[in-house]
Amino acid sequence: MSESKAAIKAWTKTQARLGLRAVRPSIVLGIVSSLAGAAQFWCVANILGPALTDFVTPSGHGAGAPVPVWPLPAFVVIALLRIAINFLSENASATAGRRARSRLRNEVLGSIVGTGPAVLRHAHSGALAALAVDRIEALDGYFTRWAPASVLWVASPFVLAVLTAFVQPRAALILALCGLFVPFAQALFGIGAAVASRKQFLAMTRLQARFLDRMRGIATIVLAGRADDEAQRLGQAADDLRKRTMKILRVAFLSSASIDCAMIVALILIALIDGRHVQAAIHTTDAATFRSMVTASLFALLIVPEFFAPLRGLALAYQDRALVQGAAEDILALPAEVASTGETHQLRVAADEGVAIAFENVSFIWDEARGRALDDVSFSVAAGETVILSGPSGAGKSTVMELLLGFIKPTAGRITFNGVDMQTIAPTSLMRLISWIGQRPILFAGSLRENILFARPDATEEELEQAIRAASVDGFLLSLPDGIETMIGEGGFGLSGGQAQRIAIARAYLKNAPVLLLDEPTAYLDPVTEGDVFESLETLTRNRTVILASHSTALQEFQGQRIELSNGRIAGAGGEAA
Amino acid sequence: MSRPSSRDVAARERADRDALIRIVEVWRPHAARLTMGLVLSLLAVLAGLALMSSAGLRFAGAALGMVLVTATSLRVLGLGRIVLRYSERLYAHDAMFRALATLRVWFFRSLSQGAAAGLGFRRAGDLLSRLVSDIETLDGLYLRLLLPLAGACLTFPVLVLVICNANSLLGILIGILFASSAFIMPLAAARLSRKEGAGLSHAQAALRVGVLDLVSGMREIRAFGAGPRIIDQVNSANSRLLARQAQLSRRMAFVGALSSVCTQTALLLLLAAIAGIGFDRIPAVQGVGLMFLTFACFEAVSGLTRAGMLAGNMGAAAHRVVAIADEHPRPVQAVSPATVMPTHFDIAFEHVAFHWRADRPDVFRDFSLTIPAGSRVALLGPSGAGKSTLAALLLKAAFPQEGQVLIGGVDIASLPDVWLRQHIAWLSQATHLFDDTIRNNLLLGRPDADEEALWRALDEAAVGDFVRTLPDTLDTWLGEGGVKVSGGQGRRIALARTLLSEAPILVLDEPATGLDAQTEQDFFLTLNRVAQGRTVILIAHRLTGVEQLDHVWRISGGEAVPV
Repeated sequence: MSESKAAIKAWTKTQARLGLRAVRPSIVLGIVSSLAGAAQFWCVANILGPALTDFVTPSGHGAGAPVPVWPLPAFVVIALLRIAINFLSENASATAGRRARSRLRNEVLGSIVGTGPAVLRHAHSGALAALAVDRIEALDGYFTRWAPASVLWVASPFVLAVLTAFVQPRAALILALCGLFVPFAQALFGIGAAVASRKQFLAMTRLQARFLDRMRGIATIVLAGRADDEAQRLGQAADDLRKRTMKILRVAFLSSASIDCAMIVALILIALIDGRHVQAAIHTTDAATFRSMVTASLFALLIVPEFFAPLRGLALAYQDRALVQGAAEDILALPAEVASTGETHQLRVAADEGVAIAFENVSFIWDEARGRALDDVSFSVAAGETVILSGPSGAGKSTVMELLLGFIKPTAGRITFNGVDMQTIAPTSLMRLISWIGQRPILFAGSLRENILFARPDATEEELEQAIRAASVDGFLLSLPDGIETMIGEGGFGLSGGQAQRIAIARAYLKNAPVLLLDEPTAYLDPVTEGDVFESLETLTRNRTVILASHSTALQEFQGQRIELSNGRIAGAGGEAA
Repeated sequence: MSRPSSRDVAARERADRDALIRIVEVWRPHAARLTMGLVLSLLAVLAGLALMSSAGLRFAGAALGMVLVTATSLRVLGLGRIVLRYSERLYAHDAMFRALATLRVWFFRSLSQGAAAGLGFRRAGDLLSRLVSDIETLDGLYLRLLLPLAGACLTFPVLVLVICNANSLLGILIGILFASSAFIMPLAAARLSRKEGAGLSHAQAALRVGVLDLVSGMREIRAFGAGPRIIDQVNSANSRLLARQAQLSRRMAFVGALSSVCTQTALLLLLAAIAGIGFDRIPAVQGVGLMFLTFACFEAVSGLTRAGMLAGNMGAAAHRVVAIADEHPRPVQAVSPATVMPTHFDIAFEHVAFHWRADRPDVFRDFSLTIPAGSRVALLGPSGAGKSTLAALLLKAAFPQEGQVLIGGVDIASLPDVWLRQHIAWLSQATHLFDDTIRNNLLLGRPDADEEALWRALDEAAVGDFVRTLPDTLDTWLGEGGVKVSGGQGRRIALARTLLSEAPILVLDEPATGLDAQTEQDFFLTLNRVAQGRTVILIAHRLTGVEQLDHVWRISGGEAVPV
């Protein structure tokens, strides 16, 4: 636990360092903007001061003294300068935010892909999508607002207080004292805000995962007549999200109210104290001194909102900081990549040579409580031969496939390809050797062509044609509205199970790998379709090393060695099947 | 990219407006809270105006040796302002989030109305994006647009009258600047952003679809070594989103700068008037009060121009959310709802003609079939013959173009969906296992089922023994799409869910898919014993020989041929 806390701390620190480096221009521009603000208010005070004292005629002070003109053009120039600076700094920090999000998203996606399908045993795909999309979007504030604010909240008020001290030390002292109150309030509210914001994101993620899952099975829900119940539960989840969000906002608003408080106290104190001094001075000082006194006090009064603006920026950005910790937890909670132990090397296979595969006393445990999914399994298959794994569902057939795909590693024993331990083969090299067809192929959002070319994007038109013919995709191509350019929805709407499976076969043809893994490829097909698909599969298996997992009677007609699995053990190896 | 023509823009604006009106209707139950939030926010604005002008007056008065504003009233105003501002923000946000929660539920309900046939071409990721991001964008409608706009409407006359009192020309000029900053520029920004329309939300949805594809297609991606390629694709979706955001943030910064120009010009005019340059000199005391007031007024509306820039996104988001409600199948001819529910459950298809889409061939032209209540029947045939279409028609997942489907002599188009779905239980080929416990997955079939009934259903589906071996038995988490059990076991759990339902009609669409031969036979033998007295419609490509059936039809060429 403490180890993971340390990891989170380290990660957050790295992000803070990177974030700060990226917003350096914004910080500099922010300080310059504060200085420009002070200069502007100096101009304003220099018009208001003389104008006010000009009317103080009863004692004869200041009568006839003209209001200076220079502050007006100066005001215009500085105003334009300041607007330009703010524009630049806003754009600079927005750019920093975009870069940071891009970088983080890349890291997260890389780590998801690196982990492989095992990641889905840990998290719902909705939660993963929320992590890669929303969670990282939400970090924008951390890089655009928090990073500059974390420096500016000290730097800008400090500069302004020093400037004010030259003009009106009394007011500077009031500002400094009121300003010092803010960090205390922030620390007090900030801790609460961090906890609340983490919980809020959890509620958000839950809502998303729940909704995505319900969405995918919406027909099941509707047809079971449970849509109302589900809507109510979604309502509860949405309401929970509201309550959590309000908790954050309550704290955030409270902290910004505390800054308002400090600011108003400063305003009132300066107005009252300086007002009293000015009143006392009316009859005792000469006109020029009185005028500069009023001007100085006005400047101090005007600078108050400017002094508190960076502090307010900090309060607004405080919850952004809390988000980064929550994100760190989620990002670091992604399972570590299945790192290959020791050195790996490329396994080269000559085109006509083929690959022999052997399981040597392989065991695997998914879950300690449920015992071994595979228990001391040994078998071998020669290059170009076929092995048929049969057995009831849950016997361990799919586990064998996952092992061969390298998604999981044997708990004990080893698997060899041409005598080389699989763990020592570089993953890219391994993937070149293997084609895989599962129970229900995933079709990606996009056209049919893109879905087939997925196996090998650089395939020529001719190779594509060949694969389409060999997999009998051409049989149903004509019935589709746009032929091979037909767009396919998520989950492959518009294609029947048999058609989808043919796409998978076409992919395997296109890839043309020496090893073919077939994981119950006809489980969801009716026998007529199964028969058709079987023919296409049979041509595909020629001259390849095939491992077929199936309990379908039709597929049992494949020529090859039979291995019967039962509860993770080899129950019988039935020599050559008919 | 081609520029949208002005007619397209006008049409889209109209559509966006209609969508916004629909959404406001959904929010109606929260009208009282939303109004209360508005009132509080206006009070906070007033308190702020009073505070800023009296603080200026107090000091300016002091310079003249007068007490224009007492210290006490200043303190009261200050405190009032802080309390009001805090409670207003809290209350308004809470009211808005309540309205958003209601909108999310409404979205799901609307979606479920049209979703009996599944999601079709709609992508789950895109829908998720609408539920989460688009609905979230809509909070700006109230919080970022309506509230500040109402505040501006209140401050505008106050500001103009007070300044006109000192100098009418100045009052008019500052009034124009204020109106530009609070009304004209936000409106212009809104129009500009509308032209870009839905770009941002589409980009966000595209990214989400890409990421979901990557996550759920991981097996394929790894098996084909496509990781880097798919990441590239997602990255380009990411870059498109970022480019949109960059454009938006540049524009926001620009309009923000424009609104600061207004503020600064207003201050400049006041200064000139106080200095007596270009205007008749106004009394300095009054001038200082006006300065503070003007600054506070412009500050309060400074966010509006930026919010206007988001109006296009809000309109597009509203449009995407509302569009869901309009996408569901309806009967070809409107049918008046039935007043009397059927009392017996004979099923009759009468002269049904049906095609899924106008550009697809007819599945049926003149199809008739009667299934007596309580009988056990099988519909056989190769895939694509229309067996599953019959199930869809029976469940109102689709409507026939001609003819009708009757239950107990009543046209099902006139029956409430809820009634129909209570009386027909369906195990489809695409039945979904939810990311939940086995127990909750089963309870979907019958929420009030007791422990005993659950186990009976599991045993009937020949999966009870397996569930008993699991450490958490019924409370085992199934994982997404049932990943934590094997395909065949998951299928049998789905079957148990259907058997658990008390509906008088059971439709089993290929129930034995994914079962091995022995389990399949066992299952059909069990089926002969259970579900006595209920109508069982078995949809299959062939029979195993052990089923005991009253009627068997072969569906082919759009007709039912008795076997």
